[in-house]
Amino acid sequence: MLKRLLLLAVLSALFAIAAACGGGETIEIGAQTYTETKIMAYINQALIEDRTDYSVNVTPDIAASPPVIDALSTGELDIGLLYTGEIFNNHFPGVEDTHDPEEVLRQAQEGFNEHYDFNWFDPLGWENTYAMTVRKDVAEELGLEKISDLKDVAENMRLGVDTTWLEREIDGYPAFIEHYGFSFGEEYSMDINLVYEAVANEEVDIVLAYSTDPRILEFDLQMLEDDQQFFPPYDACIVARNETLEQYPELEDILTLLTGEIDEETITRLNYEVDIEQRNPQDVAREFLQEKGLLE
Amino acid sequence: MGWISDYILFLQERYTDILILLGEHLYIALFSVILGCLFAIPLGILLTKLKRGVVTSAAFTVANIFQTIPTIALLAIMIPFLGIGMKPAIFALFLYSLLPLLRNTYSGIKSVDPGVIESAKGMGLNAGQRLLQIELPLAFPYIMSGLRLTTVYIISWTTLAALIGAGGLGDLILSGIGINNKFLIYTGAVLAIGLALLTDFVLGRVEKKLSHVSQAHSETQA
Repeated sequence: MLKRLLLLAVLSALFAIAAACGGGETIEIGAQTYTETKIMAYINQALIEDRTDYSVNVTPDIAASPPVIDALSTGELDIGLLYTGEIFNNHFPGVEDTHDPEEVLRQAQEGFNEHYDFNWFDPLGWENTYAMTVRKDVAEELGLEKISDLKDVAENMRLGVDTTWLEREIDGYPAFIEHYGFSFGEEYSMDINLVYEAVANEEVDIVLAYSTDPRILEFDLQMLEDDQQFFPPYDACIVARNETLEQYPELEDILTLLTGEIDEETITRLNYEVDIEQRNPQDVAREFLQEKGLLE
Repeated sequence: MGWISDYILFLQERYTDILILLGEHLYIALFSVILGCLFAIPLGILLTKLKRGVVTSAAFTVANIFQTIPTIALLAIMIPFLGIGMKPAIFALFLYSLLPLLRNTYSGIKSVDPGVIESAKGMGLNAGQRLLQIELPLAFPYIMSGLRLTTVYIISWTTLAALIGAGGLGDLILSGIGINNKFLIYTGAVLAIGLALLTDFVLGRVEKKLSHVSQAHSETQA
């Protein structure tokens, strides 16, 4: 008798898992490891579930944007958040090297439509780019305001970066050295979430931060101006499969509700709520939509 | 077949970087396991000699807890104390190596037939002689299998050291994921697998050699 019950329990658990994975009317949204992608995923989830009968599943903490793109192209994900500078990541040939935000956006929209069958929506309004960032006291002591001020001191500095920048082609380290004409004493690559604490604790002297991260404010860090325009534009955009948009025609209007509506200040504040105030990204997302009057 | 020539080009261009990362990887993994051995094997032996079971189970519980701390969390927690780079990576991997080494040493010594110990006592061997000439040689296969297991998975986990600025083959894998470059991912992964298999093979040979020596040794003793 007990055995039967156990068997029944195991079987029903398996069915539940299979049902959850099968997802007939479930829309899948993916997010990377950093907070704003998760907040945006929950914003889209709340909007879609509020305005349609579809259910939405969010998969957070995907290691980097290329796996998000892979999953979108195989259909494991329907919607994601990407940045226009992503085009410099070897996804399709013929990318023209430019720093004009409009041009980069156009190449992203056309290239990903043609090669991946994605709809790359217009920018949400904020840019999250790389920013060379130091402690305020170091900036004052060495008189640093812009990246080219580093020229004479860089060789004595330890640089902390995320796990990809050293390898990136157009906007990575080798190109940086060529563009600005200097390199750093030592480089340490690590999870992007660790660089802020590493520089605050004087483990490294300078880090390549993501410009909308609230820990820049929290740890009293200072971003240096990219005075020779090395880093390409990174405007945040919602991306969805064309197939998904055809299957669920209501989605297009929902996913454009926030186009141009979220600036750097706003997203940094939302990131702050999660990263520093330790709040749940779902709650932060809902609260933001309620403030905006987009959610009942 | 174009990818083969592309890959050869990639290797030609990057082999010095790759060798440096391979060296770092081996250094971090071996350093952690050696530290683990120096700590866990004597402790395991000591635990078998204690009369109070409380201490033993406390030691195992602590080692068990270390084993269960998520790696990323452990690395992050250690930044304020140990900073970034090799130090925290080696310390974290050292903690992860303790449980299997401790458990295998303990069970190996415990598995020695009490009758054998009694007769060794009867032959007039003191505790130190019994440990070196009877218990350790008999427990040796257990300890070695713990060591091999530990080394293989520590080499594999060392890829996580890249998350904390310690370098190693994980750098190749993580940056490969980040910039959509399969060569980087596969090179890092294949080398980590190769390194683990090779180290296991070498340890296997060492085990064979040493067990012959210790058998010969105990035979001459007898």
